[in-house]
Amino acid sequence: MTYYIKLGVILFMIAAIASGVLAFVNNFTKPIIEENQRQMEIEARRTVLPQAKTFEYVEDNLPYYRGYDEEGQLVGYTFMAVGAGYSGDIQTMVGLTADYKIFSISVLIQTETPGLGANCTRPEFTNQFSGKEVDELYIDVDSGDIDNITGATITARALTNSVKKASDIIIEQTKDLSDNTKHDYSKDKETV
Amino acid sequence: MSLIKELTKGFIKENPVFIMALGLCPALAVSNSIENAIGMGGAATFVLLCSNILISLLKNFIPPKIRIPCYIVVIASFVTIVDMTMNAYLPDLHRNLGIFIPLIVVNCVILGRAEAFASRNSVLKSIFDGIGMGIGFTIALVAVAFFRELLGAGQLMGIQIFPNNYQPILVAILAPGAFLTLGLLMGLINLFKKPETD
Repeated sequence: MTYYIKLGVILFMIAAIASGVLAFVNNFTKPIIEENQRQMEIEARRTVLPQAKTFEYVEDNLPYYRGYDEEGQLVGYTFMAVGAGYSGDIQTMVGLTADYKIFSISVLIQTETPGLGANCTRPEFTNQFSGKEVDELYIDVDSGDIDNITGATITARALTNSVKKASDIIIEQTKDLSDNTKHDYSKDKETV
Repeated sequence: MSLIKELTKGFIKENPVFIMALGLCPALAVSNSIENAIGMGGAATFVLLCSNILISLLKNFIPPKIRIPCYIVVIASFVTIVDMTMNAYLPDLHRNLGIFIPLIVVNCVILGRAEAFASRNSVLKSIFDGIGMGIGFTIALVAVAFFRELLGAGQLMGIQIFPNNYQPILVAILAPGAFLTLGLLMGLINLFKKPETD
């Protein structure tokens, strides 16, 4: 009997030490991981909408950021588009200009097949979105003019459709304000 | 002399993947590009080394009856540490390896070495065994990834090798290509291996 209690105590000790060590490492790395995540998003916002100098977060059904230039003029919006790709969600940061054209996109997180779907992060693919109207966003297979990725139609279609869908939502959410391009905080709450 | 033998035996003679057929799940899943293979190999080697050291140290403390749960706790802790540190300091690599990192826990190379070697040998020997087996695992992953990336994408380490009009053999980079490449390499090694004399 005491033998079995001893076994339990030993296992408990090992598990307790292990969780102590893990708690310590987690404490240490968690802020860095969160900081990385934040930096990555800030970086991505700057890339997809470089003419904006300051960004302002807007809470909505689909949260987004408004980008303003030095004079406080609204230049566009950035937001995340999420679509189910071939092997997981594809998260894309989209920069939309104030007159609702895609400025550029940047794929942040994807787990697509390397050499095939993973090519969606390449500029050859993402640059095609620049300057497009939201209504034009279809891949060539769906009779649009975004060139498909060879061997990765699912990825290209998922990404393109997710960008279009998210952009449509943003247009819906912001169109009441589209004439009012001056920075006006009092309107922020009424965007819904 | 014997230490060097413990180190090098894992490279080819007792290669964990090709000869012992351990850890095939990560070998199949993460061998689609050399970069991923090296990352996975490095992470697995680190965990293998740490778990070998600790288990060798604890071998007289851990009662045989509960050794497996103890080993798993030790291995899982190291994997979680690697996961968190990699996420903090090498976020790009972490994004690529993604779900494969937690899978190191069930990489049977690590549990296999803990059970078969570290729990019966001195710390020093276990260190060499861990490094050797880790390198062997990495060699195997890189060997499979070499063929898959070259044929499936026309690239090596992300650098274009074949001309741009090369039509990639897509199957090589997908799951079936992993089975085919690994199987053919295993067969090739068996072909040249000296038959064991009884």
